[in-house]
Amino acid sequence: MRWATRRGCHVDRTACAWLVTRFLDPEAEFSFFGDPAEAPEGAELFDVAGARLSHRGDDCSFETFLVEYEHLGRDATLREIAEIIHDADLLDERYGRPEAEGLDAIIRGMQLASPDDHALLRQTGPVFDGLYAYLSREAP
Amino acid sequence: MDSAVGRGAGARWLLLVYRLPREPSRHRVAVWRKLKALGAMYLQDGAAVLPENDLTREQLEWLQLRVREAGGEATLWEATPNTTAEREGLEEAFRASREEVYAEIVEAAGRLRRKAELGGDSDGMLEELKKLERDFRAERRRDYFRSPRREEAAEALRGARRVLVDGASSRGGAGVGEVS
Repeated sequence: MRWATRRGCHVDRTACAWLVTRFLDPEAEFSFFGDPAEAPEGAELFDVAGARLSHRGDDCSFETFLVEYEHLGRDATLREIAEIIHDADLLDERYGRPEAEGLDAIIRGMQLASPDDHALLRQTGPVFDGLYAYLSREAP
Repeated sequence: MDSAVGRGAGARWLLLVYRLPREPSRHRVAVWRKLKALGAMYLQDGAAVLPENDLTREQLEWLQLRVREAGGEATLWEATPNTTAEREGLEEAFRASREEVYAEIVEAAGRLRRKAELGGDSDGMLEELKKLERDFRAERRRDYFRSPRREEAAEALRGARRVLVDGASSRGGAGVGEVS
């Protein structure tokens, strides 16, 4: 299936893409566009204003995924990751997760060093794999 | 490509022009608070400006959406000041707007350091220092034009931490020595 979002991904979009590939659609293909008017037809949009899978109220898109896909929302480790993504994305310290600042710096650095969003996702995937493995050590 | 242009400070600016219904006031407060956290500057009521980069663009896009969802109107513009003088004036205003907090951090860190040199409740002081360090990181994030006081504040925090951490460990060591 094709998934599409805005170019210049940061923490919320890279985390959503990881979530999609790892838990929803292992064959997922991603497109990136500049203006929403250029979004490919028939693609599932995420982290785009007005899309089903986007910011909702004070929630970031990753949090919306966990609401829309209930089985993901039941995963305690993903719920923890969602708190970290929220704090890193919205910078409002809602959950006070100390990992957020470090993750923000790492993903921003990777973004600066990557030629495009496809390359960026190849790098950020293992970061979220690592975070998931680490946090699930002690998940209930 | 787009974003690379905006990474050099002062290349391009983003201007959020918005209007919100007077009531309920919580939306106006939320938007104002978010703009303040981003370090935006109001050119006038309902017109806030920020230097353009990936982060400011994204945050302002969400803010625009938020204003619309709250029943207001918001448009987001890319802009460049018309003259060099105007641009420099704007950059200087941004730099100046960070100075107050940096100056407070320098002062508070100095006070903490002097207190730490006298000994006392190092846990409490460390908590106080952590809060200052958090304030510093938040300020640095919105310090788009590198205020000259940033380095001063960073140095004051490093100094306070050195005294607090070294002081705590040497006092701890002395404590163990006294037992024998």
